[in-house]
Amino acid sequence: MKPYRISPERLTLRYVILGMGALAVAGIEGLLMRTQLMNVPLITDEHWYAILTAHPLVGIYGWAYLCVMGAFLYLVPKLLNKPLFSPRLATVTLWTVVVGLALAWSSGFFLHFASLYTVYWPLPVARFPPVTVTMFAVGLALVEIGVLLFVVNIGATVLRRPKERKAAAAKPTGALLLSAFGIDVAVVYVANRLARWRRRPEAAADGGVATTVKSAQLPVFVVSVMRGSVDAVINAVVLAGAGVLMLVFALPSLLAGITMDPLSVDPLVYKNVFWWGLDMVADGDVLIWVAGSLYLLAPLLVGGKLFGEGIVRWVILADLIVSMGVWSHHLMSDLPQPLFMRLVSGQFITWGEFFTMGLSFFAALMTVWLARPVKMTMPLKFMLGGIFGFMLGGFSGLLQANSGLNVIMHNTQWVPGFHVHEMILVGLGNILFAVTYALLPMLTGTGLKSDRLSNAHFWLWTIGGVGMAWSMGLSWAVGALRRMLYPSTDLYVPYQASAMVFGIILAAGFAAFIVNLVRTYGLKTLVGLFGPEPARKT
Amino acid sequence: MERVEKRWLLVLVAVAVAFNVITLSPLVPWQRWMVWSSPEPVQEFRISVSNYTFTFPPGGIRAPVGQPVRFVATSDDVTYGFGVFRKDGGMLFQMQVIPGYENSIVWIFDATGSYDVRSTEYSGPLAPTMFVPDAIQVV
Repeated sequence: MKPYRISPERLTLRYVILGMGALAVAGIEGLLMRTQLMNVPLITDEHWYAILTAHPLVGIYGWAYLCVMGAFLYLVPKLLNKPLFSPRLATVTLWTVVVGLALAWSSGFFLHFASLYTVYWPLPVARFPPVTVTMFAVGLALVEIGVLLFVVNIGATVLRRPKERKAAAAKPTGALLLSAFGIDVAVVYVANRLARWRRRPEAAADGGVATTVKSAQLPVFVVSVMRGSVDAVINAVVLAGAGVLMLVFALPSLLAGITMDPLSVDPLVYKNVFWWGLDMVADGDVLIWVAGSLYLLAPLLVGGKLFGEGIVRWVILADLIVSMGVWSHHLMSDLPQPLFMRLVSGQFITWGEFFTMGLSFFAALMTVWLARPVKMTMPLKFMLGGIFGFMLGGFSGLLQANSGLNVIMHNTQWVPGFHVHEMILVGLGNILFAVTYALLPMLTGTGLKSDRLSNAHFWLWTIGGVGMAWSMGLSWAVGALRRMLYPSTDLYVPYQASAMVFGIILAAGFAAFIVNLVRTYGLKTLVGLFGPEPARKT
Repeated sequence: MERVEKRWLLVLVAVAVAFNVITLSPLVPWQRWMVWSSPEPVQEFRISVSNYTFTFPPGGIRAPVGQPVRFVATSDDVTYGFGVFRKDGGMLFQMQVIPGYENSIVWIFDATGSYDVRSTEYSGPLAPTMFVPDAIQVV
């Protein structure tokens, strides 16, 4: 096979640029949907619901995932001082996700597939023609295959032993695996306790299991990435599985006119499995990968040491258990779901995120506090803005994941307003921009040209994001549902008009970033990143 | 663990315990009959949903104020929602209507009047048509 050559910087920039392109698409879709919610119909209702289906997929897998993948594919090898396992696989990953998203998006835009990202069974196969279902399912499956390829690449990079290193210097694979998934802290703790119990503390301090495991300890950022990879794999398998299930019903109908009873699949069991998998993104990767980014960014930006690293390692392990058990908070209003599940998995385990994220934010903020006086750089501003967004959006999420309050909040505008958009735009968005601003000088050798535009980006984005989220969320008080058009009443128009104004402010912030990017590097350079790698100077 | 971390952890524990205790307690009125007791409903109303249409019991729904009544909703095609709304638009309560299951909720209305019903779950592009004004009379 012909050797494949691409610099790590070029590879990551491709991911980031396509990710930002996806954000632009999701943003235009969002504003278009808001126009419809203001009862100014520019599109048909069918098209509106099709956009509503594509919007979160483009936002999460297009914008957030591509940016995160691009950053991690660069940072993990750099921190471990190893080459990326396969740059070719990374390029295949990028285009697999992009093609998958384009297919899923096209199934809505051209064929009006609109079962929403939740694809509650049996809605896709009961309401939409098999050809549209097939197109969406193949697109979704491709996206998830891309995610799996990314995890393989990162995992192989972390666990691979470079040939040139001497065997004696290599870390034991078992210990490396324990560290990679954050289990090492528990092993070390148990080993130390056992040694003390046997009154042989020297066994722990001198060549025991604890010492072996500790010797292979990876940086907390890398552990977070690997820990999140577990969630990413589960998410990808479950969502790709949902795509396959759709194909099982759609293809016989499409090819041979055979119709199967969609209720032969239990909708409640499906919903449990689907949310278990989907929540690995919403309550898994969004949190642990963000936490990991904070563990890296905070000390890097202030030139200090991460505060409370020992606790942070326990947090990463605890988050593994939390993310596996929280899915029932999406089924709080599904009353056939046992009350025990709604209370334990839906409410109490969800509060585990309050602890894991509370301790992660505390570690990042204490790191900054103890390093005073610090220079308020753009990445630091975005990082603090991101923590602010997660605090607002996270707490509103805890309110709706409550057996009592969910009765009056479920499926209202509270959820996409106060929770989802605040978490994603203000929380996750600001953290992604913090990483982008921190990475650009490393990737290109120069930071963005205009501080004024960078500041405009931060403030417009944050104010616009919070304002839009609150405008949407407040309409909950007068009964506005999410995923709902109200063509026959103007009751919610003032809220949606306010959300539109703040949405435009948010978009202006993003536009400031794009203008800054183009002014700094030039459009030709940015487009040229997708061309062949220039020959190296000898 | 440093002292400052211990203190922060205590703050987190205190907030979590206080919030969960308050919201599980009868301070949230419907928790009285949803979590802490199972009052015998004085009436039961069966609602079926199919092809974007609610079918209510013959004679409509007339519920007594201040007494527990049960709503049982079934669907034979896709997932819907059963949401009860005040005339000012505010949502009183809701539940999901999962096909193939009997979805039931007990409610005690605290005020007489007329209430609207709307599907609170997206069930396809015609979901916004699933609005039934004055579907419930509380007397």
